[in-house]
Amino acid sequence: MFFNSLSFAIFLPIVFLLYWLVFNKNKTTQNAVLIVASYYFYSCWDWRFLFLLVFSTLLDYFSAIMMENSTSDKKRKIWLWLTIGINLGFLGVFKYYDFFAQSFTELLNGFGFQTNPVLLKLILPVGISFYTFHGLSYVIDIYYKRITAERNFIDYSLFVSYFPLLVAGPIERATHLLPQVKIKRHFNFEKAKEGIYQIIWGLVKKVVIADSCATYANAVFDNYESMNSLSLILGAVYFAFQIYGDFSGYSDIALGTSKLFGIDLLKNFNYPYFSRDIAEFWRRWHISLSSWFRDYLYIPLGGSQGGMWMKVRNTFIIFLVSGFWHGANWTFIIWGLLNAIYFLPLLLQNKNRSNMGEIEMGWNLSSVKTILNILGTFALTTIAWIFFRAKSITEAIGYIQKMVTDFQFDSQYLSNERYNFELLLLVVVFVLVEWFNRSKVEPLSGKASLIKVTLAIMTLLALGVYSDYKEFIYFQF
Amino acid sequence: MKQFLVFIGKILLVLLLSAFALDFIYTTVFAQSETRNKVENVINSKPHNYDVIILGTSRANNHFVSELFEKEGLKTFNYGMSGAHLFETSLLLKLMIERNWKIKNIIVETDLNLSNEKRDDGTFGRFMPFMHQSETITEHFKKEPDFTELYYVPFYRYIQFDAKVGFRAWYKTLLNEPTNTLANNGYYPLGFNPKANMKNNIESLVPLRNRYFEEIKQICKANNINLIAVTTPMCSNVKGMDYFKKVKALYPEIKEYEHVVEGDQYFSSCGHLNDKGARLYTTKIIEDLFKK
Repeated sequence: MFFNSLSFAIFLPIVFLLYWLVFNKNKTTQNAVLIVASYYFYSCWDWRFLFLLVFSTLLDYFSAIMMENSTSDKKRKIWLWLTIGINLGFLGVFKYYDFFAQSFTELLNGFGFQTNPVLLKLILPVGISFYTFHGLSYVIDIYYKRITAERNFIDYSLFVSYFPLLVAGPIERATHLLPQVKIKRHFNFEKAKEGIYQIIWGLVKKVVIADSCATYANAVFDNYESMNSLSLILGAVYFAFQIYGDFSGYSDIALGTSKLFGIDLLKNFNYPYFSRDIAEFWRRWHISLSSWFRDYLYIPLGGSQGGMWMKVRNTFIIFLVSGFWHGANWTFIIWGLLNAIYFLPLLLQNKNRSNMGEIEMGWNLSSVKTILNILGTFALTTIAWIFFRAKSITEAIGYIQKMVTDFQFDSQYLSNERYNFELLLLVVVFVLVEWFNRSKVEPLSGKASLIKVTLAIMTLLALGVYSDYKEFIYFQF
Repeated sequence: MKQFLVFIGKILLVLLLSAFALDFIYTTVFAQSETRNKVENVINSKPHNYDVIILGTSRANNHFVSELFEKEGLKTFNYGMSGAHLFETSLLLKLMIERNWKIKNIIVETDLNLSNEKRDDGTFGRFMPFMHQSETITEHFKKEPDFTELYYVPFYRYIQFDAKVGFRAWYKTLLNEPTNTLANNGYYPLGFNPKANMKNNIESLVPLRNRYFEEIKQICKANNINLIAVTTPMCSNVKGMDYFKKVKALYPEIKEYEHVVEGDQYFSSCGHLNDKGARLYTTKIIEDLFKK
């Protein structure tokens, strides 16, 4: 069941009405109805993976209690590493085993040992990377005594399985979400209205922007050898907007849906393509994952405490792990590495926190510099996305090579039966809408909201891509 | 909560009104056009007189050179449509009859398409703007499982087939931007493709006593149209060529022309002749069926 499907459009109002009108007695009944809904939601993909979700919930719940009850630090540490080991073990088997087996075999074959890998070819349980990290943050917080273990199993189960964030985040923190599920929620019209606006805008991003860009990006990437420079540049730009529209659209729908139930989730995107440098980009893109790596990997590794060498080492580690988190493919690792390389000059010059404030614009030279910085950051990010999108490193290098050496900038008719430039106007309009609303969560609220909602709905109907249906990209992670 | 339900009601009303408005705007624009594809060219046409009309899939569209018929004094148009199944071919013929076209001969490509009675979404979608305009279309689509939604839910038909009748098609129609579909009296010549895959496997195909071919036969009979059903050539490297024998066994009236052009130099892909091959094929058809 996808957020942009008819079944979700039926499911959501039913759960909403049951939650507020039938099971609104206390927080336990509210939580119970959300858990049942979440398990049903998850079972729509593959009911067998429910066992994995339940197991993960039970494991983290009991190990957190055992950790808290332990009298010695040694026992606490044992519980911590046992839980981390089992959680990552599942993730490793389902997501990474085949990659390692394949890579190891290729390495052996390279040394002249002829072997065949034993591959499991398992189906990746949807959302496993998200709820594993979700659970890990909880047990690590317990270990460091930042929070106390949750004793109410219903509340904890909802924290893990809450359907708006279950399959593709945002990756929540116990300190943020648990306090909200531990109290009865009261209906708040303004919050629910915000939620609806955010859902509509999320749908526009997914169905209009991401899916339209996808048809062009696919046509270019799948035939990159016969494309000219202009098509290859546009293909990469279209993919940049595809992945942004897809994932931030998903996050908007998740956050909006959650607001309907009176629960706020962590903000996951903050107009990342308006970043002035790559460090700012990573503070604005997939915020819940970036901050997860910062808090649970970068800081425990020593963060920036041990001098420049330590900072550089730790930065490379989190970018490489972040790349690997996205998928078991060398292309994701190179994507992470490339971002680390982009980050390096800022780190060495201690400028990685120089663009922390809002973007101020005016008719002056500094605004021109800001715009150039934004465009430069976008260009760097887009080049890195080529590795993210390509099927192999060879393909990515071939793509970039052709892009910078072909020097043909004619319009080209693509395999999706469209000219390469045809989508540009839509992308430009989208960027302008986001730019002029960058101080808000979404552009629909505020003055003349009914007119803006009407325009958004008409855009959804007229410009949405429905016949060539595409899943959310981040479901595969 | 009451306030929220009123708010949701407003959103749903906006959705409904937008859908009605867009449906009206799209339908109005498509109703004016007859130059962008063969479906609207027939639907929005005035009565015509033709000596030969060609129907079928791309294997009709790319194989029958209208110009060669015209040279023999036969007024001809090729209405073959890439991807079409006999489901849509039959409907197109019904619409020609509904619009009082006078047709002497119909050549129908009947080979691989006999194995299928389902609709082809790409071609089916092109009929969507005219669903409410023609009783014939409504009747033909009535048994489709999604007929109710397509017919009654405003704008749903445009959403469902947005690749064919979506915003882009609407916009280009509004600008009256022509396509090359109707050039060469409907015939679309293919070039020689040195990288073409000259292999095909049709072993899994089984010809059916196809209800839409039966419909075409009945329509022709009822309207005194001479129906010529033919097969068209395949390249030499095809697995399962006995399919054509099964076609012959099922429909002895279908004329066998699958072997009249041989040699990969005449093909653009395994199932499609290039222009040179199409000219040889059409010449043979004219000699056999219109000169003897």
